[in-house]
Amino acid sequence: MGFKSVDKKRKTQVPESESDDELAGGFFDGVLSQSEDDSDFVADDDDDDDNDDQDDSASEGSQDDEDDEEDDDDALLSDDIPSDLDGEEALGKLLITDDEPEIEVPGVDPKRQDVGDEEKNYRIEKDANGGERYVYDEIEPGYDTDDTDAQGPANTIGDIPLDFYDSYPHIGYDINGKKIMRPASGDALQNLLDSIEVPKGWTGLTDINTGNPLNLTDEELELVRRVQMGLIPNELHDPYPDTVEYFTSIEEKMPLSSAPEPKRRFLPSKNEAKQVMKLVRAIREGRIMPYKPPEEREREAEEEDEVHFDLWQNEEPQDANPMHIPAPKLPPPGYDMSYNPPEEYLPTKEEREEWEKLDPEEREKEYLPQKYGALRKVPAWSEMVKERFERCMDLYLAPRIRKNRLNIDPNSLLPKLPSPSELKPFPTVCQTIFRGHEGRVRSVSIDPSGTALATGGDDGTVRVWELLTGRQVWSVKLSSDEAVNTVRWRPSKDSFILAAAAGEDIFLMVPSHATVTPSLDQVSRDILAAGFGYATHGQQQPVAVGKEPAAKWARPGTKLEDEGVLIRITVRSTVKVIHWHRRGDHFATVSPSGQRSSVAIHTLSKHMTQIPFRKLSGLAQTAAFHPLRPLFFVATQRTIRCYDLQKLELVKVVQPGAKWISSFDIHPSGDNLIVSSYDKRLLWHDLDLSNRPYKTMRFHSEAIRMVRFHRGGLPLFADASDDGTLQIFHGKVPNDQLENPTIVPVKMLKGHKVVNKLGVLDIDWHPREPWCVSAGADGTAQLWM
Amino acid sequence: MAKIKRRGQAGQAKNYLTRTQAVKKLQLSLPDFRKLCIWKGIYPREPRNKKKVSKSATASTTFYYTKDIQYLLHEPLLQKFREQKVLEKKISRALGRGDVTDAARFERSAARPDKTGKPRYTLHHVIRERYPTFVDALRDLDDCLSMLFLFANLPSTSAVPAKMIARCERLCLEFEHYLIVSHGLRKSFLSIKGIYYQANIQGEDILWLVPYKFNQRIVGDVDFRIMGTFVEFYMTLLGFVNYRLYTSIGLKYPPKFDQLKDDQGAELGAFALEGVNIATDGAKAAAGDDAEHGPDPMLQAAVDKLVRQLKEEPGVESEVAVDAEEMPSDALDKFEPVAPGGDVLPQPSHSSSDPAELFAGMTFFLSRETPRQPLEFILRAFGCKRIGWDSVLGEGSFTTDESDPAITHQIVDRPVVQAAMSSEGDGEDNQTSQKVDLNQRYPGRVYVQPQWVWDCVNDDELKSSELYAPGAPLPPHLSPFVKTAHGQYDPTLPLEVQETEAETLDADLAEVDEAEGDEVENGMDVESGNDDSEEEAAAELSEEEEDEEDEEDEEEPATLQRQRELEAEIAGKAVASKTVDAKTKAKLEARKALEKKTREEAEDLERAKGMLSKKKRKLFEQMQYTNNKKSAEDMKLRSKRRKMEKELAKKA
Repeated sequence: MGFKSVDKKRKTQVPESESDDELAGGFFDGVLSQSEDDSDFVADDDDDDDNDDQDDSASEGSQDDEDDEEDDDDALLSDDIPSDLDGEEALGKLLITDDEPEIEVPGVDPKRQDVGDEEKNYRIEKDANGGERYVYDEIEPGYDTDDTDAQGPANTIGDIPLDFYDSYPHIGYDINGKKIMRPASGDALQNLLDSIEVPKGWTGLTDINTGNPLNLTDEELELVRRVQMGLIPNELHDPYPDTVEYFTSIEEKMPLSSAPEPKRRFLPSKNEAKQVMKLVRAIREGRIMPYKPPEEREREAEEEDEVHFDLWQNEEPQDANPMHIPAPKLPPPGYDMSYNPPEEYLPTKEEREEWEKLDPEEREKEYLPQKYGALRKVPAWSEMVKERFERCMDLYLAPRIRKNRLNIDPNSLLPKLPSPSELKPFPTVCQTIFRGHEGRVRSVSIDPSGTALATGGDDGTVRVWELLTGRQVWSVKLSSDEAVNTVRWRPSKDSFILAAAAGEDIFLMVPSHATVTPSLDQVSRDILAAGFGYATHGQQQPVAVGKEPAAKWARPGTKLEDEGVLIRITVRSTVKVIHWHRRGDHFATVSPSGQRSSVAIHTLSKHMTQIPFRKLSGLAQTAAFHPLRPLFFVATQRTIRCYDLQKLELVKVVQPGAKWISSFDIHPSGDNLIVSSYDKRLLWHDLDLSNRPYKTMRFHSEAIRMVRFHRGGLPLFADASDDGTLQIFHGKVPNDQLENPTIVPVKMLKGHKVVNKLGVLDIDWHPREPWCVSAGADGTAQLWM
Repeated sequence: MAKIKRRGQAGQAKNYLTRTQAVKKLQLSLPDFRKLCIWKGIYPREPRNKKKVSKSATASTTFYYTKDIQYLLHEPLLQKFREQKVLEKKISRALGRGDVTDAARFERSAARPDKTGKPRYTLHHVIRERYPTFVDALRDLDDCLSMLFLFANLPSTSAVPAKMIARCERLCLEFEHYLIVSHGLRKSFLSIKGIYYQANIQGEDILWLVPYKFNQRIVGDVDFRIMGTFVEFYMTLLGFVNYRLYTSIGLKYPPKFDQLKDDQGAELGAFALEGVNIATDGAKAAAGDDAEHGPDPMLQAAVDKLVRQLKEEPGVESEVAVDAEEMPSDALDKFEPVAPGGDVLPQPSHSSSDPAELFAGMTFFLSRETPRQPLEFILRAFGCKRIGWDSVLGEGSFTTDESDPAITHQIVDRPVVQAAMSSEGDGEDNQTSQKVDLNQRYPGRVYVQPQWVWDCVNDDELKSSELYAPGAPLPPHLSPFVKTAHGQYDPTLPLEVQETEAETLDADLAEVDEAEGDEVENGMDVESGNDDSEEEAAAELSEEEEDEEDEEDEEEPATLQRQRELEAEIAGKAVASKTVDAKTKAKLEARKALEKKTREEAEDLERAKGMLSKKKRKLFEQMQYTNNKKSAEDMKLRSKRRKMEKELAKKA
C-alpha cells in the first residue's frame, strides 16, 4: 500500500511540475529546484526495482517526465539565445546561486519570486487599504517536494574529463540519453553582457510587490554592502559616543526643585521598623532559626526533644471510669515453660506428634515443653516478634468484656438433698416377678384391698395374680388380635370389679380370687347388672336419629360371661386409658385416635356413655378425675385442661411446656400435679401457684411413659421410662400453703430389660404399703418393695 | 399516646459505634485512627446484644463506645494528624505540578517519625491522661517493658529505624540501672521464650520478658507500623517513668551516657549515675565502680584483696552479730498467733535475706560462653559489686583476667573436657584473650553453672554449688511465678503427698502385679490364674456396675480360690503362697470399697444434678469440665513422675 500512496502523491504532483516546467527553463530547474523532478526519478527507480505490479503507473510517470524533459530540451534548443527576460533572469539566478545566503531577502523566496514573476500561482486581490495583495496558491507539501538529497548528476558521462567533448556542441548526455548542449562559453556571455545596457541600479531582481524589476539606489546598495560586511547599517550612527556626565561631576548651583526635603529622607521608616520588629520577634520566639547544616540541626532537635520532667508532679488519683476495662495481663510462665523443666512435663512421643499435627491456631499451648541440658544450648524463641505483635493487636483490637469468673466450688451449686435413708420407706428391691404374659405387659393395677394384681398384655389376656406370691389365680383372653391396653380396678373395697380395654372394647369383669367371698362376688355382679335394668326401663336418654350412639353396652357372650367378664362396652376407637372416679360409679376412657369422641365418661349404674367435649384442641392423651372436687382433667399433647363438671366450664389450663405429654397424675391432696412427657422430663406443677411447672426433673435418658402418686398417704411418686428404669421420688406436699413442696429423688430401680426401645410401660402403687408394681416390655411385671 | 420509638434511636444502639462510623465521625484515615486508639487506649467493646446495636443488616465486628469516640474528638493530636494530612496533600500537589523544590521544602518540614523516630508531636498529655497517678503507670508497665526490651534486641530495618532501637536500648538500660540501685528485682526465670524478670516497684509487681540475645526471626505477617506506634508510646512512657524513679531515689536523670563505651559493648557500664545535688555514694559505687575501674585491674584486685584481708573478715561478723541483737531494724516483723483460734492474715513475704545482700561479698567471673547481659544485671541487682568477664564479652568488666585472685565465683557453661582432650583443646581456643587451660581450676573458687544464679535468686538463698557444678546434670529449673492451688500438681513436693487415694491404690496394685510377675517362675499356671482374676476384677471395676454384680464380684475371688486349689491338687503342688494373696486381697478390697464409695457419690451427684435448673446445670457441668480437665492433666503428670521414679528406683 505504501507504494500506491506514493504513486498517488506523485501523480498529483505531476501537473504542478508541468506548470513549473512551462515556466522556467529546464536548466535552472535542474540547478535550483531539482527537488520535484529528480525525486521523481528516484521514486521511479525504486518502483521499478521493487514492484512489477506498479510498472504501469511507474512507466507512465516516467513517460511524463520524459515529456517534460523533452520540453525542456526543446526550450533550450529552440532559443539559442534566450529572450531578454529569460536571459536576465537566468543571470540573476546564477548570481544568486553563487552567494545565496547574502542576498536572500527575508520573506522572499527566490523560487517563489520567479514563479510569481511568470505565472499565475497567485491572484491579485485588493486588501483592506485598497492596495494590491497577492494571494498565493496553497503549496501542497507533497511527499517529495523537499527531497533535496536525491541529486542525480545531470550529465551522465561519468568520470571522464570534459575536454573529450571539446569538439562537440554538447558536453554529455542526460539521464534520458538526450544530449546536453554546451552552455554559452565565456566569450559569448561576455559579448552578450556587453551588448546589453544595464540600467542604473539594475539588480536583476523583481520587486515582489509590484512585479517590476527591482532597481536599487546607490544608498540602498551601500546599505546592503554594510549589512553584508557586518557593519552598522547607518553610517552616521556612532556606537561609542563620549559620555555626557549629567549628575556626577557637574555640581548644580541651584536645586532643581525648591520643595523642602521630605521627612522620609531623614526619618527611618515606620513600616520597615515594623517589619524588622516582626522578624526580631520571630527570632526571639524561635520561629526563625539561623541557618544550620541539616545534620547539626537534626542532632540539636534530638537533644532538645528528650524533655525530662516529672509528669506526675501533682498527681491526684482519679476514680477509674466504671466502664473502663484494663487489659488483662499475660499469664506468668508455668513450670513447663522452663528451659530445664522437671522431666514429667516433657511431652511423650504421642503427645508431641499430636501437637505437631494440630493446626497452629488450634493448639492449646503455642509451645512444647523442652529440656535443654545447659543454658548455652537454648536457642532464640522464633515466635517472639509474632507473639508480641499479637499481643499488640489484642491490646488495641480485641473487644474487651468483663466476665465474672465464678470462683466457687461447683458442689456448692448442688442443692442439699436429704439422704435417702432418712426418707424411708420406699421400694428398693424387686420382690416378685410375674411371668406369664407373652409379649409386653401393657398395664398393671393393684386392687383396692391390696392383695390382687391385675395385668394386661399384648397377648390379649387379662391375668390376676396373688400380689405377694406371684401366683396367677385367674386369666381370661379378651381378644385374639388386640392387645389389652389398660386394666384398672374399681376403687372401692366393697366390690371387686376390674375394667380392661382391648381395642375398641371395654370389658368389666369380676375375677375369681381367693379373697373374694361369695357375697362380695354377688355384690359386684349386682353392681354391674344394675345398669341393664336401667337400660331396659328405657330411661336412657334418647339418641338423636342418625347419630351413632357414643357406646354400646352389651353382654360379651356366654363364653366370657362364664369366665366372669360381664359387660362389654364398644366405643368408636381404641381405648388407651381408663380412669375411675373415686366413688366408682363413673369412669373415663381416652382413645387418642378418636377425634371428637376421644374422651368418654361412662356411668356404670346407668350403662350410659357421654361424650363431654364437642371439640378438643389437640389430641387427647389421658384424662383424670380430681380426687376431691368435681373437676375433670384432660391432657392433650401440650396442655392439661381442667374442667368443672358441675358448671360445665373450663377452669384452668396447665402448660407444662413439654412437647408431648405421656401421662399425668394428681396428688391425693388435689393441689399438685405431676406430668410425665415423652421428651424425658418429669414436671411438677403446683396448681395454686402457676400454670407453669414448679420443678422440672430430668433423670431419664429416654421417654417417660407413666407417673403415679402413692395413694395411701405416703409422700412417694414413681415414674416409668423407656430406658428400663423406674425412679422413686419423695414428694412431700406440706399442709401449710406457704411452704413449697419438697421433691427428692430417692431411688432408681433397674430390673426391666429394654425390648424394642421400650422399657417400663406402666406402674401402680400398693394402696397402703410403699410397694409398687411395674409392667415391662420384656413380658414381666415386677413388684418392688 | 406515647410517641412511637424507632429502632436505632435510643438505648444500646446509641451507645455504640462501629469502626467505620467512628472513623467517619473523626474525619481521619484508618491508620491515623488506629494510632489514636493505641495511644489513647481506646479499645472496642463487646455489646451485650450485637443485633440491637448494629444498625445495618450485615454483622459488624468491632464496636466502640460512642462516649469514647466523643472523647477522642477533643484530642489535640487530632489537629496534628490533620496538619500532617494537609502537608502530605501539599507535597503531592507540588509533585504533581512538577515543582520539585517546593515539594522538597514541604518534605523537609514534614515529620517522618517512621524514618527519623522524631515526631512533631509529644505524647505527654496522653500519658498523663491515661495514667493519672504514677502507680497507674507502673501497673501497666508489663507490656511496655516486654515490648521495649524486644525492640532493643531487634535488627534495624527500614521499618524499625536504628535510632528507635538505640533509644529503646538506652531506656531499658536506664531502667535496669534503677533496679540495680534500688534492689527492686525480685524473681527471674529462664524460660524457653526468654528470660522473665519480676520486679517490685512501689508495691507493684511488674513482670516482663527479655528475649535471649540472638537475632530475632521476623515472620512475614507482622505489621511493624502498629508495633512502631506502640513503641512510640511506650518509649515516652518509660522515659517519664525512669525520670520519676531516678528522682525518687535521688539520682539525676538522664544519667551520663558514654557513647564510646557503649560502642565497645559496655551496655550497663556505659552509664554513670549521678546524685541530684550531692553525689550519693551508694549510687555512685553501684555503677561508677566498674566505670572508674578500667586501667589496672590486677593492681585493683590486689588492693581489694588486701583490704578485705585486713578489714572485712574479722569485722563483718561481729558487726552483724551486734546488728541482729541490738539495733532496731526497719525490717518487717513476723506476726505469729499467740493463742489459737484467730484467723490467719496474709503477711508480707518475710524473706530471710535482703535482696541487696545476696551476692554482696562475692566477686564473679563470667566465662565467655555465658550470657553476660542478664547475668550482669541480675548479679548487680542482688548486691554483687564486682563482676569480671572475658574481654570478648565487651567493655566494662571489673577484670578481664581470669586468674585474678579476687574472684570467688566463676560461672561456667561448658562441658567438662576430658584430660586428653584438654591438651589439644588449647590450640583451638583462640578466641579467649587469655590462654587458660580449659580444665584449669583455680583453687578457692566456686565453679557453677548459670542456673545457680537464678535458683539462688528465686529461693532467696545461696544454693549449694555442688548441684550446679560444671558438667553436672542440673536440677530442674522451676518457675517462681506459679502459685500452686490446692490439689494441683506441684513438682517440688513428693509424690505421695499429692496422690489421690485411688491413685495410690492403683500404684500399689501395679507394684504387686510386678512383684508377682517376678515370682512367675515358681508356679506358672497358678500365678497366671491369679493374674487373670485380677485383670477381670480390674476390668469389672472400671465399669459402672450394679449392686448385684458387685456381690458376684465379692464371691468371685472365693470361687477362684477354690479353683486354684483344685488346680494345685491336680498338678500336685502346694497352694501358692497365701501371704501375697492376703495382702493383695486386702488391697483389692480396699480398692473395691473405694470404688463403691465413688460410685455412690456419683449417684448422689446425679440425683442432686437432676434437681438443678437448666441454667445452673449447664454452669455446673462447665465447671466440672474444666476441673476434670485440670485434674486429668495433673494426674497425667503424676503418673509420668511415678513411672520415672520407678525406673530410677529400678536402676538403683
